[in-house]
Amino acid sequence: MASWLNFINPFTIDDDPGTYLGDFYTDNFEKGAQKGNVILNLGPQHPSTHGVLRVLVELYGEYVLRSEPVLGYLHRMQEKMGEVKTPYQYLPNMGRVDYLNPIAWNWAYAGAVELLAGIEVPERAEYLRIISAELNRISSHLLWWGAFVLDLGGVTPILYAFEEREKINDILQIVTGSRLTMNYFRFGGVGQDGDERFFALIGEFIPYMRERLKMYKDLVTDNVILRRRLEGIGPMDRDLCLRYGATGPILRAAGVDYDTRKAIPYGLYHKFEYRVPIGPPNDNFGRYIMRLEEIEASLTILSQAIESIPQGKHIIDKAPKPAYKLPPGEVFFAVEGARGQVICHILSDGGKTPYRIKLRAPGFSNLSLFAEAAKGTILADAIAILGSLDLVIPEVDR
Amino acid sequence: MTSIDNWSATCRDFGALYVTRPDFSKQGIHLSAYLPPEALLDMAQKLKDEGFTLLTITTAEFTEGFVVSYLFDSFTESSRLALRVLLKDKEKAKVPSLYSIYQGAEWHERESYDFFGLIFEDNPNLVPLLLPHDLAGPPPLRKAAGALSSLKAINFQGKLEYADPDFPLAPEPQEPAELATISEAATETGPSSGNNEGGA
Repeated sequence: MASWLNFINPFTIDDDPGTYLGDFYTDNFEKGAQKGNVILNLGPQHPSTHGVLRVLVELYGEYVLRSEPVLGYLHRMQEKMGEVKTPYQYLPNMGRVDYLNPIAWNWAYAGAVELLAGIEVPERAEYLRIISAELNRISSHLLWWGAFVLDLGGVTPILYAFEEREKINDILQIVTGSRLTMNYFRFGGVGQDGDERFFALIGEFIPYMRERLKMYKDLVTDNVILRRRLEGIGPMDRDLCLRYGATGPILRAAGVDYDTRKAIPYGLYHKFEYRVPIGPPNDNFGRYIMRLEEIEASLTILSQAIESIPQGKHIIDKAPKPAYKLPPGEVFFAVEGARGQVICHILSDGGKTPYRIKLRAPGFSNLSLFAEAAKGTILADAIAILGSLDLVIPEVDR
Repeated sequence: MTSIDNWSATCRDFGALYVTRPDFSKQGIHLSAYLPPEALLDMAQKLKDEGFTLLTITTAEFTEGFVVSYLFDSFTESSRLALRVLLKDKEKAKVPSLYSIYQGAEWHERESYDFFGLIFEDNPNLVPLLLPHDLAGPPPLRKAAGALSSLKAINFQGKLEYADPDFPLAPEPQEPAELATISEAATETGPSSGNNEGGA
């Protein structure tokens, strides 16, 4: 590369390692860089990295030779907090691990505690859990859809997505009391029963959303510019998913029929009939279409749930109180979140607080394959691949 | 012979120190096996060949040492296996990295390096992942000596299939008849004992 470029760009790799201006991670990354290539920091504040993710890339012209995500900007010690709070006190944290899909995390933790302590959940509560989880999945996919198309340069769709998302937030607000960091589940049930208005609004929302999905297809999915940005870009096959532990829509787009709701049924999901969409295609477009089809599947579950929800209690009578202690033991509990398999692993020695809590965030494993998937693509496609992974950084960093 | 039986036998072949068969409906895993660290890579390679994926790595500290649990799952059949290694020497704890087989292990291992200071040999980029690179003090999830529990306090339930006599969880040697029912008593009292009355 021309020497004048070295002069104006201090990040261009030079022979003299003493001249770099990078921080710890840039310096660490630069060690493997070739002379003349450009090291670029994407983020941590750039909107296309969704939150505060930083990605270091080594560029040859416009091609990504190598990349490395740098995490930790949103690390909040969630696992440590789990060790110093009683199970009941820790429950609200779950809404904050993944703010777009709080119900799945509610379920992962409440489910793990119930499994370990042998707490039964009333049938009506199981239905309310499924209803809230599926509504939440739809709202999470909607926000992903809008933000992803925004990454690709389409500004309008996110405004549509937010209109639908607002409706879901209005519905979930009735039972959870909040619009973002929902804390709805309790050990042995849910926080509140749904009233007539709650079920009526869901009944209105299902046909409305089905109509909107048709509009999404006409407006966005069949758009030739979008197709060119997605089709054939960023293929991720079964082997790649397996080596990195990717789950959720990424894995299903790779043609693997694996959905936690079907593979390891929890709650009352076995009572419902729905189709889990499976790829191929396994490219960006495959992952895009997977999520839109999952919205349809969730609507199917919702319509069955509001028709067949039984009467009864929404929580058991002797629900654990704030000072509730876990019995000693170990448990793994997995649920299907919007981004993949959420696992809560609890080790308890019978003390006041759990001995160790491990939160398995699907986004963490999904992001770890980015470096390999983005290798050799142009930078703009790498951004599209990053978007197709549906990242929520608070969940990745925990 | 189910596939879990097969995996149990395979773990024994690789020199497993302690193998139990937990109740899946109560614990969410089908098999738990403590392996010697040197057998970990061969076992992981075998799992990879059979189409298993590595979902997560959990590290925990006990009085006996660190326990690193690797959770594997198969996409084709429901078999969730927890392979573990017990690292007795806390100051020089080293585990072989699974990076060469499961590239996704790199980040999980770096996370354990962050929070427990564990060294994963042959991890290609063992630098802090979630914590600042210049964080002072001991690794944050290490426990003070007074707060440590022993492995036995956790009450890992499940049917015991094999126990090396020297392994910390191994039952007392004089009563071999009780081998198979090690945690049965605890199973009965454990879940229902619930301290429900509580009160804030």
